[in-house]
Amino acid sequence: MSPAEDPRLEQPEQAEQAGLEHPTNGLDETVHQRHRLGILTITAEAQRAEFGYLRDALGLTPGNLSKHLTVLERAGMVEVDKGYTGRRPRTWVRITPQGRAALAAELATLTRLLHRHTPAHDT
Amino acid sequence: MGDKGSDPASGQERDEPGADGGADLLDEMKALRRRARAARHAYWFPLVLFGLLTCASVPFYVLPRYPDGATQGGPSLPILGGFPGLTVQRFLGYYWLAALLGGLLLTLLWYRRNARRVGLATPARGYIMTTAVLTVLALVIPLLSQVRSPHWLSWLQQLQVLWPGDLVLRGTFPFVIIAAGLWVLAWAERSRALAVIAAVYTATALLSSLYDIGNVLFRLGWNPSGGNWSLTSLPNVLLPALVLLAAGAGAFAVQRHHRTRT
Repeated sequence: MSPAEDPRLEQPEQAEQAGLEHPTNGLDETVHQRHRLGILTITAEAQRAEFGYLRDALGLTPGNLSKHLTVLERAGMVEVDKGYTGRRPRTWVRITPQGRAALAAELATLTRLLHRHTPAHDT
Repeated sequence: MGDKGSDPASGQERDEPGADGGADLLDEMKALRRRARAARHAYWFPLVLFGLLTCASVPFYVLPRYPDGATQGGPSLPILGGFPGLTVQRFLGYYWLAALLGGLLLTLLWYRRNARRVGLATPARGYIMTTAVLTVLALVIPLLSQVRSPHWLSWLQQLQVLWPGDLVLRGTFPFVIIAAGLWVLAWAERSRALAVIAAVYTATALLSSLYDIGNVLFRLGWNPSGGNWSLTSLPNVLLPALVLLAAGAGAFAVQRHHRTRT
């Protein structure tokens, strides 16, 4: 029976349980971009991360980082607070529970994908 | 990870994960997480601060000398200052109340300053709240359980079951409060090293609270008090202080080394 004829594939959950769905189907387009994944990884590690730290750690230009943050903010995965420390403007980024869940799901999917391609699974 | 030219808004930004790509991405995220964790570690300060505050408490542990026949009033603040009726300095409890709350305030300010400097904030609120709540409970429980209350408030006397027993005897219960705070801080800092320090310090705090460490020194043939019995409590105070100061100095060296390397 070809995969197309397999009735188990009619329901994605059942296909997942049967181990027939490819792990890449679980990847989130918003999160699965290395810089946005990096932003979520760093902000999940701290209570909040400052714009300058993210820019330096990820090696991005300020404009590019802002665009990535806008994508994540629109998806509800981070919150951006702008304020001042003395006279210096500061932008702090905080991960939301939704962002934390998306990061965990993405890393789990990547790990599953990796295990799928290890020699033990190829045999 | 320097890819300054990629356009986040374009539709061509998805990195299709092959096995190697997925492994590289996971490794990259692990490295980012490790660097961020190391960069925000700043726990050397509370270790050194509470080590110094413990050293500064030494005069309050020098046992008072009473004239013959004089009664001993005991500590003004039981639990924080020892057990009622036992020989400790009267102001020990007040000292620790001020030292614990002042130390927490300085630690809070330290973490805020570190967050501004490094660009990563540690969630230290749990540490501050845990230590503050335990300090307030240690202050309030004896007061409530000893208060002469009307019949309908007699249940307050049942709060005596919450007294931490023998841990109070030597006036070293503040060490146990500091130890509890360190466990929460180790979790907030996601630091195994601080968890090990918290475990060693907890063991030391319990030992200091339950045993006269001077006995060990006597058996080794060294009398640290030199015949002055009013100083026999000092090993119980100096050992926890030494643990905090040594751990704080080590953590400072490691964290400074990391900062200069990155």
